[in-house]
Amino acid sequence: MIELDHVTYTYPALPGDGEPRPALCDLSLQVDEGEFLLVVGPSGSGKSTLLRCLNGLVPHFYGGTFRGRVRVGGRDPVAVGPRGMSDLVGFVFQDPEAQFVVDTVEDELAFAMENLGLPQALMRKRVEEVLDQLGLAPLRARRISTLSGGEKQRVAIAAVLTLQPRILVLDEPTSQLDPQAAEEVLVVLRQLNQDLGLTVVLSEHRLERVVQYADRVLALSYPGGPVRLGTPAEVLAAIGQTPPLITLGKKLGWQPLPLTIKDGRPFARALLQEVDRRSGEQTTPPEPRPAPAVAPLVSVRNLWFRYNGHEALRGVNLEVRPGEFVALMGRNGSGKTTLLKHLVGLLRPGQGEVLVAGLDTRRAPVEEVARRVGYVPQDPGSLLFAETLQEELAFTLRSHGLLNPQAWQGAEGLLRRLGLSDFARRDPRDLSGGERQRAALAAILVAEPEVILLDEPTRGLDYGQKETLADLLRRERARGRAVIMATHDVELAASCADRVVMLAEGEVVVDGPTRETMTESLVFSSQVNKLFRDPRFVTVEDVLSYVKN
Amino acid sequence: MLEYHALAWVAWLTAAALPALLTRNPYYLALVILASLVTYLALDNRSPTGRSWGAFIKLGLILCAFSVPANALLVHYGDHVLFSLPADWPLIGGRITLEATLFGLASGLSLLAILLVFAVFSVAVPPAALLRLVPNFLHQAGVTVAIALAFVPQMIVSAQEIREAQQVRGHRFRGVRDLLPLFVPLLAGGLERAIQLAESMEARGFGHARFSSLSRRVLAARVASVMGLLGLAWGAFAYAYFPGQRLTGIAVLVGSTALLLISFWAMGKAVPRSHYRRWLWRRRDTALTLASGAVALLTLTLWLLDRPALMYYPYPPMAPWPPFRPEIGAAFVLLALPALLASGYRPATDGTRVLPISADRQDERPAEARRRPKEAS
Repeated sequence: MIELDHVTYTYPALPGDGEPRPALCDLSLQVDEGEFLLVVGPSGSGKSTLLRCLNGLVPHFYGGTFRGRVRVGGRDPVAVGPRGMSDLVGFVFQDPEAQFVVDTVEDELAFAMENLGLPQALMRKRVEEVLDQLGLAPLRARRISTLSGGEKQRVAIAAVLTLQPRILVLDEPTSQLDPQAAEEVLVVLRQLNQDLGLTVVLSEHRLERVVQYADRVLALSYPGGPVRLGTPAEVLAAIGQTPPLITLGKKLGWQPLPLTIKDGRPFARALLQEVDRRSGEQTTPPEPRPAPAVAPLVSVRNLWFRYNGHEALRGVNLEVRPGEFVALMGRNGSGKTTLLKHLVGLLRPGQGEVLVAGLDTRRAPVEEVARRVGYVPQDPGSLLFAETLQEELAFTLRSHGLLNPQAWQGAEGLLRRLGLSDFARRDPRDLSGGERQRAALAAILVAEPEVILLDEPTRGLDYGQKETLADLLRRERARGRAVIMATHDVELAASCADRVVMLAEGEVVVDGPTRETMTESLVFSSQVNKLFRDPRFVTVEDVLSYVKN
Repeated sequence: MLEYHALAWVAWLTAAALPALLTRNPYYLALVILASLVTYLALDNRSPTGRSWGAFIKLGLILCAFSVPANALLVHYGDHVLFSLPADWPLIGGRITLEATLFGLASGLSLLAILLVFAVFSVAVPPAALLRLVPNFLHQAGVTVAIALAFVPQMIVSAQEIREAQQVRGHRFRGVRDLLPLFVPLLAGGLERAIQLAESMEARGFGHARFSSLSRRVLAARVASVMGLLGLAWGAFAYAYFPGQRLTGIAVLVGSTALLLISFWAMGKAVPRSHYRRWLWRRRDTALTLASGAVALLTLTLWLLDRPALMYYPYPPMAPWPPFRPEIGAAFVLLALPALLASGYRPATDGTRVLPISADRQDERPAEARRRPKEAS
């Protein structure tokens, strides 16, 4: 179905840069009809480029130099271009916000067919079929802007399915979605693959969700680096960055390597018995880090807030002390971002009070609160504007009236800590996703805030980048900062948060130590914890430390 | 939501905009406003477009209310003095006349009428339907405009996010240089989104041409359209500057217009494009179009042949009170027809929208009924 033969591709050189390196290097690949191929690899390894070769967006949309041979369903994408491939390869993009042309679901589904000039009767039939296939019939007359992220991605899939492609290519379709929405999309993909025999090529960062659906996995490392292709178990055993379950399985030498919690359960049961037998009696989980016995840095009392006519926050109480790391979890729309904005003074309480670093946000101006509290927004791109990272840091210092030689030395130390020293003179917009996230963090941390607020910091980051970020945040906590992070990422919360606060419908429904809350929850629980169902084991390190003893 | 064919709405727009633009007579204007208001209220004005026009109309009402005292206080001309302000008050001192008050009212009403008429049209006809009125060869340009418009709300949302993010970072607005932290992220973000949208459109076959762009036929059509444009310019020039050759000028104008239309049609053929939505022309569309045509014709005829019937000028030597002819007034009442013909149909509006070009519902009927659609009501 898909055949790549020694493909090498280089993006066009940007003015000012030297000779660019190829994004794909001598890549050969064969995919059979009806196969589900998962493409993995760190950011910048060429996943997107590879996928775009399959429908001719590379090289037609981007230019550059292309060598080698591609055949997709008997056609040559390099010769016919993306338009000529549109009825054979359906392509779904990362950002659910930026791929729709018209404003209602039904018209969006018809858009591609209208472009090809298909007869109306045929279009009617296909739209009905696709609506049923993806369970979108109840949404057919809805405006796309009113849909949730998961619904939007399903519409995006439906919009390419109406051309009845034989191959579906998806470029990280779930990286911008919360876990539930991502699940919705992946379930649909699996159905299409199994029920219709559609060939699916999917790139994805969060392997734990999809690895069980894939027939084969292609792991890219870096352009020109080693490429692995094989069954999921083979490839995952060989690559470095894997989900916690698989990392654990590899470390403990479990054979065959379990890919799902279900497969891992027998190993975990045996291990649990072993641990309990060896220590004679049930050991207790490590005591959670005691809350530091100092006055709280953040204190929210009975906070109510109305927003667009609905109660976004309903009587929230929260206290965070210096040196505490709190993960703020909950569905989309549960009030996480609204709460964070209250903590930095961007929103003011409708009722109740918010005290941050001794300042009452009802009275203190935002600038004053912001000097003590750092807020990193979801999209790092909304902060970065200067020509170099250095200027970016200088801007924050100057704005807060803190620009002096001593602060500047601190800034250089910060860049070193964040591993950004080499990029100080680079344009922050040219950095990769993870580096850009760290650059935004640097631009905020340079003012040495006592409280650090982060809104979904791991969107679109790969395992390595996430680990770097977690290390950084742990270090900031150790320096006595209070960290509050709104996130959907359970693994990140498990590995660095002391406390989990769960919001639902604007209310705090859970507030407790990470271990206990995770063990009690079915959904908001890390992979290792799901495997053992035991408060002693939440992360891979927990298990390894028990095994060593 | 009132379901009419977009072309019927265009006829209505013409019929309603003509009196709103051509007459200053407060009686007639009041009738046009009333008729448009009835139509507007029958529309789905809870949609985003409806809401934004709602704000516009409120603004129009305020302006209208403001123009009466403004004109009365500033223009001290006329025979019917209502009262006088001390003459040494700057600007507003002097006689306050009935004539000036009436003229202020007429100006305000005319502004309000124009606003309302366009509000009705843009709420009634969604962009998708308007886009479809664009001829095929201009289709890609039309889509571009539609996308640009759809980008605006997204840009507003991200502008708000950027402003907040920078504010928290200590950014304060002091001068033009401080625009940079707001503007650069907005532009860069917009560009990224635009690139992804372009990719997504291309991957779905947008701009797929039936003939290669250099085929002989397309080339011929392009040459013909250029010739048509040149002919138009030359004809207009001849008509305007050489009185002796008016007839030739007209002939050239007609000829080149025909050439242009033919070349546009030929270029449209090269873009294969079909429409998903069935566009129904129903009896009430005919009724609305005919009625609108009659109103438009009447207004134009009066304006060309009997201008005083529409004119209104309260100041001496004319009479301050406007004339009123019941038959003309009755004609303008006809503009409320869209609301009267299709009353009682209003779907839920929780983000749902039924386009007037509807493909649903019709298919449940037997085939012969579908071929010649009739309105049951």
